[in-house]
Amino acid sequence: MAEINIHPIAPPVLSTPETHIFEEPSAPTYQTAREPLSKEEIHAVYEIQRTLNEIQEGKWRRIALQFEDSMLPDAGRVYDILKAKLSQTTPNSQEDQPNQPSQPDLENLSIQEQGQDTLQELSLFVLGDTSYGACCVDEIAAEHVDAQVVVHYGRACLSPTARLPVIYVYTTKPLDSETVVQTFKDTYAGREQKVIIVSDLPYYSHQDTITMKLEHEGYQNVFATKVLHNPSSPIPNRTIPEEADLNGNILKEYDIFHIGEPPAALLLTLSSRVYSIHIYTPSTSTPNRAALRASTAIALRKRYALITSLSAVGIYGILINTLSVANYLPMVEHVKAQISAAGKKHYTFVVGKVNAAKIANFAEIGGWVVIGCWESSLVESSDFYRPLITPFELRLALLSDEERTWTGAWSSDFNDVLRTAVPGATDTSNASTIAAARANDTTNATDITSQSSIEDEDPEESAPPEFDLRTGRYISHSRPMRAPPAQSAQGNTPNEGDEPGSNSLVARRPGEIVQIGGTASPGAEFLRAQRTWQGLGSDFATDFTTGSGGGAGEDEGAVVEEGRRGVARGYADGMDERRR
Amino acid sequence: MVNFTVEEIRELMDKAANVRNMSVIAHVDHGKSTLTDSLVQRAGIISAAKAGEARFTDTRADEQERGVTIKSTAISLYAQLKEEEDLKEIPFKVEKNDFLINLIDSPGHVDFSSEVTAALRVTDGALVVVDTIEGVCVQTETVLRQALGERIKPVVIINKVDRALLELQLEKEDLFQNFSRVIESVNVVISTYFDKSLGDVQVYPDKGTVAFGSGLHGWAFTIRQFAARYAKKFGVDKNKMMSRLWGDQWFNPKTKKWTTTAPDGVERSFNSFVLDPIYKIFNAVMNVKKDEVLKLVNALDIKLTNDEKDLEGKAQLKVVMRKFLPAADALLEMMILHLPSPAQAQKYRMETLYEGPHDDEAAIGIRDCDPKGPLMLYVSKMVPTSDKGRFYAFGRVFSGTVRSGLKVRIQGPHYTPGKKDDLFIKAVQRTILMMGRFIEPIEDVPAGNICGLVGIDQFLLKSGTLTTSETAHNLKVMKFSVSPVVERSVEVKNANDLPKLVEGLKRLSKSDPCVLTYINPSGDHIVAGAGELHLEICLKDLEEDHACVPLKFSDPVVQYRESVGGISSITALSKSPNKHNRLYVTAQPLEEEVSKAIEEGKIGPRDDFKARARILADEHGWDVTDARKIWCFGPDTSGPNLFVDQTKAVQYLNEIKDSVVSGFSWATREGPVAEEPLRSTRFNLLDVTLHADAIHRGAGQIMPTCRRVLYASMLLAKPAILEPVYLVEIQVPEQAMGGIYGVLTRRRGHVFEEAQRPGTPLYNIKAYLPVNESFGFVADLRQGTGGQAFPQSVFDHWQILPGDPTDKATKSGQVVEAMRIKKGLKPDVPDYTNYYDKL
Repeated sequence: MAEINIHPIAPPVLSTPETHIFEEPSAPTYQTAREPLSKEEIHAVYEIQRTLNEIQEGKWRRIALQFEDSMLPDAGRVYDILKAKLSQTTPNSQEDQPNQPSQPDLENLSIQEQGQDTLQELSLFVLGDTSYGACCVDEIAAEHVDAQVVVHYGRACLSPTARLPVIYVYTTKPLDSETVVQTFKDTYAGREQKVIIVSDLPYYSHQDTITMKLEHEGYQNVFATKVLHNPSSPIPNRTIPEEADLNGNILKEYDIFHIGEPPAALLLTLSSRVYSIHIYTPSTSTPNRAALRASTAIALRKRYALITSLSAVGIYGILINTLSVANYLPMVEHVKAQISAAGKKHYTFVVGKVNAAKIANFAEIGGWVVIGCWESSLVESSDFYRPLITPFELRLALLSDEERTWTGAWSSDFNDVLRTAVPGATDTSNASTIAAARANDTTNATDITSQSSIEDEDPEESAPPEFDLRTGRYISHSRPMRAPPAQSAQGNTPNEGDEPGSNSLVARRPGEIVQIGGTASPGAEFLRAQRTWQGLGSDFATDFTTGSGGGAGEDEGAVVEEGRRGVARGYADGMDERRR
Repeated sequence: MVNFTVEEIRELMDKAANVRNMSVIAHVDHGKSTLTDSLVQRAGIISAAKAGEARFTDTRADEQERGVTIKSTAISLYAQLKEEEDLKEIPFKVEKNDFLINLIDSPGHVDFSSEVTAALRVTDGALVVVDTIEGVCVQTETVLRQALGERIKPVVIINKVDRALLELQLEKEDLFQNFSRVIESVNVVISTYFDKSLGDVQVYPDKGTVAFGSGLHGWAFTIRQFAARYAKKFGVDKNKMMSRLWGDQWFNPKTKKWTTTAPDGVERSFNSFVLDPIYKIFNAVMNVKKDEVLKLVNALDIKLTNDEKDLEGKAQLKVVMRKFLPAADALLEMMILHLPSPAQAQKYRMETLYEGPHDDEAAIGIRDCDPKGPLMLYVSKMVPTSDKGRFYAFGRVFSGTVRSGLKVRIQGPHYTPGKKDDLFIKAVQRTILMMGRFIEPIEDVPAGNICGLVGIDQFLLKSGTLTTSETAHNLKVMKFSVSPVVERSVEVKNANDLPKLVEGLKRLSKSDPCVLTYINPSGDHIVAGAGELHLEICLKDLEEDHACVPLKFSDPVVQYRESVGGISSITALSKSPNKHNRLYVTAQPLEEEVSKAIEEGKIGPRDDFKARARILADEHGWDVTDARKIWCFGPDTSGPNLFVDQTKAVQYLNEIKDSVVSGFSWATREGPVAEEPLRSTRFNLLDVTLHADAIHRGAGQIMPTCRRVLYASMLLAKPAILEPVYLVEIQVPEQAMGGIYGVLTRRRGHVFEEAQRPGTPLYNIKAYLPVNESFGFVADLRQGTGGQAFPQSVFDHWQILPGDPTDKATKSGQVVEAMRIKKGLKPDVPDYTNYYDKL
């Protein structure tokens, strides 16, 4: 401080020089080569007529249109057409309605309510840039514009929604049914083969033609699935043969012929439920070649490796990847309860669309549980710093090694996960406490076998470490919340009557976990123990201890001056006139 | 009849001067376990008749069956010197003629040498067993080197002398020459690894640190014993006599004078005084000259029972020799007189044992072997109990006293003082004494002794430090001479057995100091071991003892490492996802010596950075500035890859250091070529450009970018695949040598040394053989040489697999492609442009 008079060394430049500022790279262009669709095609692909009918039936006035990124070029035209047609028809319908004999009396009441709405101006909105997966209905964005209904274009996960009615438009893609039939014949030589045909939603409209042709060819046991809004069905979102409905095992005798590239989650789900899966991909498949048999063994083994690698993780991040699936809130609670029961810590995150950079911002998280729709909660990528798993997989990861089995059965449906918890107890939290109690029992039991009365008396003894299956080592902090050191610390204090109050400094015992607000905080502990960067000024400290600081650190630090402040959009300079 | 009680032993434990901790080490089949039997028999645990055959310390059924030791086994014995006055010859003060010998018999096969390492850690002396005929072999040298590295004093016994006499029919002089050659080669090894603090530990027969004998027949002698006999007989000083009985010393019976040159027709003193009686006995007994035998027996004051007199041949030879020169006497005398007591040994061993400062309370406790000091106990291995899944922690008390119920701090190998990782607090349930296949409970065990502990096995995987001092650092983690480079994957036959397999893998990992068990990212359960035999034993244990369910095993495969063959052709650049930060990095190979030093723990992340920089600069020619700016080691913060900061005056650099380090450890765990770990790669951070706002240069931006830029720099620097290579030593008669060359060439091996063993028709061949080509090598070699060649393979180094891994026409390209497909990756190695961003 006395140095102020002496000329201090110039403060470090705290901004990147102008010359280093990056030019924005040219924005990525989406499908430049696509021919614009003709008017007829627009009508057909986007099912304008059906959409209109349904909107009119529901008498919705504020309508949100949700497009996949690849379809955004067409959004304007679809909007125009719909807007034009709706404004034409609605006044009529309003007048027509009282006269319509088909309208049941029951409706009268609602019509009056609707009457107020119809006064509202008709408005349509295009929802671009969905916050989560394109397969899910973006209810939140739709609610922002106060929409009454969402029209969802493109392939969808068909997860039940909680808030708004949805009109699904699958945007039919062209398909040469002759090639499909030919491929089918090449794939299945025997006419008795039990096959279930599942087509991806954009090809769904072709399915009937194909089935007809196949029956014509003499295939007797071909079952064409119908779309069902039920991801919990044995074949998600599809009907299953009646005989399989009665006896689940019969499904195992069936082959699945899938038209279109199936999402990974579907493959994993089906792989253990049916005999085999063959995939016909319209873009790549050439005629006269059998459909590709899907192999999920490697993918499933990798999932198994992920699950086991996370069993010794102490801190989980719950990543909310959807806001529109029914049941997602109970699911979050369920997952939280499960993690807490295992003595582990969880933090909840909502980051919008998931990418590697966002995940890597939270290095203290050992593994992520994705709460999303059944399709998007499976994120398979090696780009993430820590693995992402589904709630179903979390259940396996949290099981003790003595109980975990792996048959290859895989599911990503919420209801499955929620249902599995039910047999243990009526309430999920009950189930988890029981699980915890049982875990305690087993550890105690093993101790008792080798004679011990000392252990139970002693709260200060540590719990044994866990074997990390990924590295083959022991991990000591896999259950940071199991035996909170807070308890033992608090237990001691009252005994010593003249212990000073909470405002006095108490030396932190070595090895004690950081606490925030009286509860152990493994996240803060991570930052304390693992981080070498402790904020501005710590450079100077590190220079003396590790010698790895920048060149400036060898000098004495400059006097702290007020710098820039504000948000990245626009800063106010510390020396700015306005502030004076 | 056991001639001692636990109480007696406990009493001896308090007198550190009367304790000897020693391990028996040698090449495979040189007779360690057999010799150990003689000592066990002396202690009354097995009968004299069985000694040499029982192999008491081979406690496992498969050890007995195969005749090879697999696990090291400890046993505590009580011993006395025959002559009370010999106590004076011990170089330090000893009050009573009662000794406690804690003996560990170790395996000789290279695949199990991690067991030897674990045994050496807890002992102060080593009995090195060398075969008279085979001499010093590769494993003799390895274990001797390890022993000296741990500052353990050796004494030598030259074993299987009976074979030299009976099978090779060596003349006395030839035998003498043979002995001196063996001793010479032992001393060469010892002097190579000379350690100033340990002093000169070369062995000399005339000083009593070498014995000769036959474990199988249960006899052995030292020059000292003969000197004592003759000293009495001729009335000369024993010590003078000792020096006369070895080397170039002749006694001319006519002139009654000692000379150092050979007079005509006179045998050297060793032959005439020491070997002669033995030859006479052999001659008489083997040629069934009953009268002569009786005469000799009377002359040597050996008492035979009537039954024994009726014996013939080898059976009688055994009895006579054992009564004449009992092996236990010679061995015990050597151990008690020449091996250090714990109090002695810990004075000089402390600095190599203790990681912390050499003047803290723990260090002083160790140095003084103080039973009242803070407890410092090193657990060197886990011994399975009869209770499935539970283990005894086997270790040595270096300071303080361990007792039942004592609450200790258990510090695992990754513990750092002041942090809570790998630290547990737990009460020791019971302390026990390990007695081969039995255990004896004992109340407490003071400093300087070896013991077993009950109740702490759940806290330590393989080894660790137990202490009562809150400030104590760890005792140094053991470094093994073998690495788990061969692996096999294991599957359950029935999916419901999976939990049992996982549990079995955990137990297996605990039960062996070296084996590694884990689940790899492809979802396979992997057991990795040092060699084929090691894996075979481990998997057998896994199936029969640990998992107890039917299992399927894959064929063995080797582990590979990724590295670089050159310096990055251009500086790699990657931009962060938000395009506002750039990292500039080059990759280059790390010098092999540095990698080795890191793997051996000579250079490590925990060292003081200045000391480390000094070593790197002085011994490895590094630039001092670079050496001081090593940011991290990887993978797992300790591996042989380095990240060096070469930037100049960059803003915010410290702020992104943590993110870069995380990115580095991520990238070094899974390389770009085949997602294998990296080895021997050095990365230089040349420059960084960072956004001015902290939020835009957070971990999320830097960590993935760091990984990308490291990948890019590697792919720009001639990426290479490293494969492990065995050093193979083969002993073979000359006529079968051609076959060896053929077999080796077919398997990409090459011979680099070929030497005839003096005095024998045997040749010693040393060769390098890629581990990948070694499967079935033993059988192939037997076939190629008509069963005359016996190889010993030990992991030696990593070498670059020839060829460009991105080119599928080359060997390494094929290996990489196969690995990638197995892992479910795209078969092609990604191009550097996948990770490289243009400016």
